[in-house]
Amino acid sequence: MKCEWVKENILLYVYNELPDDARYELEQHLARCSDCTAELKSARKFNALLSELPVEEPSPNLVAASRMRLQEALETTQQGGFWQRLVFDPGAWLRQVRFAPALAAAIFIVGFACGIGATYKVVTSGGGVSSVTSGAASHPAESSVTGIQSISQEPGSNQVTIKYDTVSTQEAQGSLNDERIQQLLLFAARNNYNSGVRMDSVDLLTQQPNDTHVREALIGALRYDSNPGVRLKALDGLGAYVKSDPRVRDALLEALMSDSNPGVRTEALHLLEPVRADSSVRAVLQRLAEKDQNQYIKEQARTLLSQLPEFD
Amino acid sequence: MPAGAWVVPFAVGEGSLRERDRREEASGTQDPTSRGLMAERSLGRIDDTLLVREAQRGNRVAFEELVRHYDQAVLRLAMHLTGSEHEAQDIYQEAFLKAYKSVANFRFECSFYTWIYRIVTNLCLDHLRKKQVRKEEAPVATDPTGEQYDVLEQVPDGRSGANPERDLMRRELAGRIGRALEKLTPRERMVFELRHYHGLKLRTVGEVLNTTEETAKNTLFRATQKLRGALADMR
Repeated sequence: MKCEWVKENILLYVYNELPDDARYELEQHLARCSDCTAELKSARKFNALLSELPVEEPSPNLVAASRMRLQEALETTQQGGFWQRLVFDPGAWLRQVRFAPALAAAIFIVGFACGIGATYKVVTSGGGVSSVTSGAASHPAESSVTGIQSISQEPGSNQVTIKYDTVSTQEAQGSLNDERIQQLLLFAARNNYNSGVRMDSVDLLTQQPNDTHVREALIGALRYDSNPGVRLKALDGLGAYVKSDPRVRDALLEALMSDSNPGVRTEALHLLEPVRADSSVRAVLQRLAEKDQNQYIKEQARTLLSQLPEFD
Repeated sequence: MPAGAWVVPFAVGEGSLRERDRREEASGTQDPTSRGLMAERSLGRIDDTLLVREAQRGNRVAFEELVRHYDQAVLRLAMHLTGSEHEAQDIYQEAFLKAYKSVANFRFECSFYTWIYRIVTNLCLDHLRKKQVRKEEAPVATDPTGEQYDVLEQVPDGRSGANPERDLMRRELAGRIGRALEKLTPRERMVFELRHYHGLKLRTVGEVLNTTEETAKNTLFRATQKLRGALADMR
């Protein structure tokens, strides 16, 4: 049974087309089975025999002559696509619509990052990097790699294609009221990998929390930012709106209940004091007072609850 | 964007690469032919998308640059399949003219490499089918069969050196293999050619021939079985 399987797969093994696990299994079997080893030897020998029919490289003369003949023909040939492109093609239009969200996202990212998106390809030969050239050769050399998107090997060769994003640093100056500056700050608050930069942008944004976009960005930072310092900053900016904006109150309650950092929770608790009479806040406080693991928060919640007028 | 604006970076990129190749050749640190080929190939991959877009806008220079990235591989494949420089040149011409006419319809759903191979293999398959019909109609025809391996006989085999006896044996061997390959169906021949002689992975072979990897695998099995049968006495 096993030998049968090996015999079925030995050709793929010779052509290096077996998946790793199957190859391992086959090699394990070969180590024990002399019949199958002989079969492999014979398959390899036959493979080598077939390679006796050489694959000739086309001679430079042939290449040159072919190119010239083609060039002559191209001069008198019209591309078929020109008129077709003028005609409305519902299929192509649907394809474009299908990709519209992706396209919009791409334009958005390009607009904000001012330079992300040039895809570079690195071609390696024999394991080493042989040459790196940008997709558009006019891009500056100082661009730096920000992330690898995909790595794939060109089948049948040792060429590797690596797609990666690059960023070239650009500078924007302007007042805090400048719309472009605000947009960059919002982008930084949401997307930057460097928590220091996020901290700075959130800090600057807290100076204008009247703007609804800014407030949303601060709520987003409070909910999702991985850095507690950034979350605290966002809390500070939002504190003043806890009374007027129910979304802010909800975000603070969420932070109070589930933030991983006790400092952030404590700060949220203090900021929620002005609205402690709200039913949602009261419910949360009661739960905290009953069974919160953090002793300080438990006590604070109790204190706040005791200050509230009793309901029936 | 003006069409001309894109052409400049290609020229710059190519220039700088070739420049570096020349320097490396001069310093003797690299094998110049393989290095040049490498640069040419890497350049091919890098510029393909831009070049294809340019060609789609009707830029003939960009299309000719694309041709240069693939034409040696196309000739190599066509020559090995047809056994004749002349026929290979015809396939080359027809394939790239076809590509030029329909490049505007190329939607980047596969790589340009796959697309161009698809055109070439279709033409080669047509060629093989025609040849098979000709053979069936006139089984004792001497002219077409006699013509098939003239390339091999004309091209001196560099490996054999000054040993005429070995040279002769090699040619005989190559002739027998060639005849065994001819007995395969056009599709079996094509799968075997692409995998064995041109090193394409079965997945790519499937893509090129518009079929699945599994089918390509089975076809390769069948082809190998038949070849083993035909060349049984040589093993």
